[in-house]
Amino acid sequence: MLQLTNISKHFGPVAALDNVTLSLRQGAIHGILGENGAGKSTLMNILFGLARPDTGKIEFDGRRVRIASPVIAQRLGIGMVHQHFKLVESLTVLENISLAAVRGLWSPGRRELIGRIRIWTDRLHWNPDLEKPVADLSVGQRQRVEIVKALCTGGKLLILDEPTAVLAPQEVAELIPALRAVAAAGMAVLFISHKLAEVQKLCDRITILRKGRVVYTGSIRELDAGQIAEKMIGARLKIPHLADHQEPPGEAPRWDRGELSPPRLELRNVSVRSSHQGAWLLFNVNLSVRSGEIHGIAGVDGNGQDCLVRCILGQIEPVDGNVIFGDSSDSHRKTPGINPRSPLGCIPEDRQREALVLPLSVQANLMLKRYHTSPFSWMGLCRFGRWRQRSAELIRQFDIRCPDAQTPVGMLSGGNQQKVVVARELGEKPRIILAVNPTRGLDVGASAFVMKQLLAARRDGAAILLVHSDLDELLAISDRVSVLYNGQLQETSWPDASREQIGKMMLGVA
Amino acid sequence: MTTFHSSPLQRHAGRFSRLISTVALIPLAIGTCGLALGLVLSGLALVGYPPLAIMSRWVDGSIGGIYPLTNSLADACPLLLTGLAAGIAFRGGVLNIGAQGQFLLGALVAVGLSTRWLIFHSAPPVIILAILAGTFAGGLWALLASILERYRSVPIVLSTILLNFVALYVVRAILQGPLQAGGTPAPQSPQIAPAYWLPELIPFTSFHLGIPIAFVLAVLFYALNQRTTFGFESLVVGLNPGAARLAGIGVSRKQFLLMFMSGCCAGFGGALQVLGVTHFMTGSFGNYGYAGIAVALLGRLNPLGIAGAALFFGMLDTGALRVEESSLALPHAVVNVVKAVVILLMLLLSAYLLGRKLRTRQVDPPPANDQGSDKP
Amino acid sequence: MNPAHENVLTFLARQTVSAATPLILAGIGELVSELTGVIDIGIEGLMLTGCIAAYTIAGATGHGSLGLATAILAGMAVAALFAATTISGRADQIVSGTALNLLALGLSGTIWSLYQNWRENHDLSTALPHGAGYSRQAVGALARLPFFGPVFFDQYGLFYAAVLLAALVWVIIRFTRLGLILRALGDSPQTCQACGIAVRTWRWLAVLFAGGCAGAAGAYLSIMRTHAFATDMTGGQGFVVLALVIFGRWSMGGLILGCLFFGAINSLQQTLQTARYTSHYAVLHALQSVPFEVFQMLPYVAALAALAVLSRNHPGPRQLGRPWPEYTYLS
Repeated sequence: MLQLTNISKHFGPVAALDNVTLSLRQGAIHGILGENGAGKSTLMNILFGLARPDTGKIEFDGRRVRIASPVIAQRLGIGMVHQHFKLVESLTVLENISLAAVRGLWSPGRRELIGRIRIWTDRLHWNPDLEKPVADLSVGQRQRVEIVKALCTGGKLLILDEPTAVLAPQEVAELIPALRAVAAAGMAVLFISHKLAEVQKLCDRITILRKGRVVYTGSIRELDAGQIAEKMIGARLKIPHLADHQEPPGEAPRWDRGELSPPRLELRNVSVRSSHQGAWLLFNVNLSVRSGEIHGIAGVDGNGQDCLVRCILGQIEPVDGNVIFGDSSDSHRKTPGINPRSPLGCIPEDRQREALVLPLSVQANLMLKRYHTSPFSWMGLCRFGRWRQRSAELIRQFDIRCPDAQTPVGMLSGGNQQKVVVARELGEKPRIILAVNPTRGLDVGASAFVMKQLLAARRDGAAILLVHSDLDELLAISDRVSVLYNGQLQETSWPDASREQIGKMMLGVA
Repeated sequence: MTTFHSSPLQRHAGRFSRLISTVALIPLAIGTCGLALGLVLSGLALVGYPPLAIMSRWVDGSIGGIYPLTNSLADACPLLLTGLAAGIAFRGGVLNIGAQGQFLLGALVAVGLSTRWLIFHSAPPVIILAILAGTFAGGLWALLASILERYRSVPIVLSTILLNFVALYVVRAILQGPLQAGGTPAPQSPQIAPAYWLPELIPFTSFHLGIPIAFVLAVLFYALNQRTTFGFESLVVGLNPGAARLAGIGVSRKQFLLMFMSGCCAGFGGALQVLGVTHFMTGSFGNYGYAGIAVALLGRLNPLGIAGAALFFGMLDTGALRVEESSLALPHAVVNVVKAVVILLMLLLSAYLLGRKLRTRQVDPPPANDQGSDKP
Repeated sequence: MNPAHENVLTFLARQTVSAATPLILAGIGELVSELTGVIDIGIEGLMLTGCIAAYTIAGATGHGSLGLATAILAGMAVAALFAATTISGRADQIVSGTALNLLALGLSGTIWSLYQNWRENHDLSTALPHGAGYSRQAVGALARLPFFGPVFFDQYGLFYAAVLLAALVWVIIRFTRLGLILRALGDSPQTCQACGIAVRTWRWLAVLFAGGCAGAAGAYLSIMRTHAFATDMTGGQGFVVLALVIFGRWSMGGLILGCLFFGAINSLQQTLQTARYTSHYAVLHALQSVPFEVFQMLPYVAALAALAVLSRNHPGPRQLGRPWPEYTYLS
């Protein structure tokens, strides 16, 4: 029903898509696999009218079409679930769907729309409260609102752009039959992902993109996982694993690991309440991180991770309990965020909002934590010579690819921006490291780099708290794993506990 | 995470990142001024004013001879200080629109001290104390807005604007009451005794001591911004408060301090104006505070740029007086039109020209370092 | 009408409504524009533009309606300038708004001088000619109701228009898909874009609407309520409107309550000022020892106090003041 022929799209001299050809059938689920930056999102944006191809043609139901805007896409019957939810939080579920699915300015078309929504929610075996504001829904529920919204607007083709990125394993498991039901109702489904396992479970046919080119189209059963991965990234690349970074056998560890060493960072009975509703954002959280270990905090986004991190950084004051740093002698240091000399390095979740000053140079960003300390300033004056020297060292050490140290950080690629953050935060060998989703939005190579740096810091004896929503990466490098659900933290017996058990805990069903 | 969601107007820091950029500073500023003048003059030509005659009178009235020149400088002085006030605050992400109120209070305190409340036999201590007190009055008035933001979440933009009006009526009430000069019903202070005037550096002109001080201050601020950790910190706070917080900079303390400095600058300007130029105060005491914002933007928040912009605006004001007095009788309010057009053009030009230039540059692949992770 | 014929309460209530009308008019526009995510600090300047446009055109042609229409168009024209810089050019909204105020101050001053010169050269008075200004319009029998009659049904025409407009806008925001779009624009423009709603076009329209409203509010001040023009005529009322939209928590009901409250303070202030000279009421007479600047200050102090008491913890439109599309990176 949908046929793309020789689609190309250039951003400047960069080809985001190069001669992509793709065809879709009714009632089938077609997977599109590819790395970050392989051109998946660009392809979707073209299908949904958010971008226009430079060349090539699109045929829909046998007719050649030009999808110039989302409205036209919707008129053709294409509905899309975006990677980042496109929902207005202050509006209700019904209002959100009405915004997308109804045309005309006056009537929001409540009655007729409710009928349409119910047809789909019944098929998905879901009974939502349509008058609830979206802000009150969980991530999984929002995902379904998005799907129902897309089904109500489209009706022929459903596009899902990395729909599982924010879901817990069980929620993913529920999504799969739902999508099968959608396909069974006669719709074509286009499922974009870089997660192999899901695609294998769900899709009938796949297309693999690499650097904007189609490298494979066909049945998924003809390739095994290894072959698919190879086609996706070109060469086999493994996630760095804890096991590969243990000190060589025979060599004694240079620090006391485990029970013997006192915790470097400890949270005792920490509780935080949201100011207006008085709901508990964190409840009675106990946590300790010792030298030379990575303590992973798993959990679906929005279960109190943000709050936990801010508590440790001293940006919010817990209602109850203590955050304790280092040995008892250091314990007066309650707020390392305020005291830059404290031994805490932090890789925050949103590097552009919280860690980097994009218009400033790489050098200034590298010096952001040390600029006022002894060799780098004198009587309140900046010693730019020392800055230059130190940042050149860091650039070399962490392999930051930039034209020179004076380039604004905003001009670098995402992976290099993250390297700047990592260099600044880990370069001074802090004793405590707090990393929050450190690989978000990075491609495999850059993710591996960041994870290797964390493992290297672990080897040097740092105490690392890793808050990460990608369970696989988290499990790969953590010594201990705790799960944060609904503001409560529970330690698991990882590595004895299974991945599935942890997944259940993330959803609060265990 | 609604807990960390503050009032929308407070999340604006970072907004001036484009203005702070030094790209094409001087050509852009000069081009903007020229274009603005051209636009307004051609507008006036449409209504029947001869543009060439206006220009020649304007040049004559602003830089033709020692008196016009010193008058321009004297007018640039308060503009420079209110411009610095806006510039410091904006650079640190604090939207202080209240230079007008801070300026008025500085002038009021200075005139009050030097006419009624502080009489010594020798002049220098009175002058110095009056200026210091005026400066601090401006700073404290600005802090009021910071306090309202910190403890009551009132957006600084709004509180400073409203405080401008409060200041205006406070000034008028006091000029009608305790500070009223005898013999007139209007709100007007008595004249400061000539002994307490700021000394004229060139006799019989309005070139008073405050003018070089103001320009030296601009240079000092430039050094502060460019060379010190303080300047670096305030830039980081202004560009990205989140990153500043992570780096251990106390953002709200910094912004308090910047607001205080900004208010002090404006108050200092008011005090200099009253002691150096007008020597008494009336209920309507100029529009320097609002014009200061235009000056700061034209100077792109850079103290040296602000000095240049203040000179231009001073010339504009002084020259326009001559044009008004001449047979052309061009209303003086035109000056405000020029200033406004300058800001709007500045914003538009930096949006369109610089925006386009940078956008194309950004799309270029970062040299050989892209691992395919970022799309434009 | 001579206040002596009414009792104090009726008189004050009527003045309150009269003083609240321009605030309501400008407030509706500002509310719509802020809902879509554009904060227009220049509303003060737009009102001033409306004042001068209405006054000069009504004065020159002798037709009040022409003045009113021009005021609305002039407001929209200046607002278009604002929209061009902030929405199309994505420049900072606060700064552009400040520039707009300066522009309106300059333009109105210039035009006012030109107008005065022109009238004097032709031996005409600069006062508004007879018939060019509006007077109150009583609504038939309703105007004879006790209290409510004079307060609500014997006002200037624009008051009725403002009430109708407020009701209309409220219904639109509350019950129609257009309202959904407006609310969504300020909260999540990226969602709107994905729904095929042209974000910038709608914001343009909202800003133009706000400009028209503010222009009408200006006309109300110059050719209805006072039949005069002064260069500081709006005297900060536009800024009070900004405070009121926040005070009303971006809802029409809250906005109108706030406007009435400030109308009351304003009318009290004006009554107290005139009471110094022509006092009809002993209560007011007693207050005349207080300098009247204190009363003039009152609205601003009250606005600050109201914000200080009420503005906490209300987020408002999430993208308020932010350009769309947001910069990914521009130096």
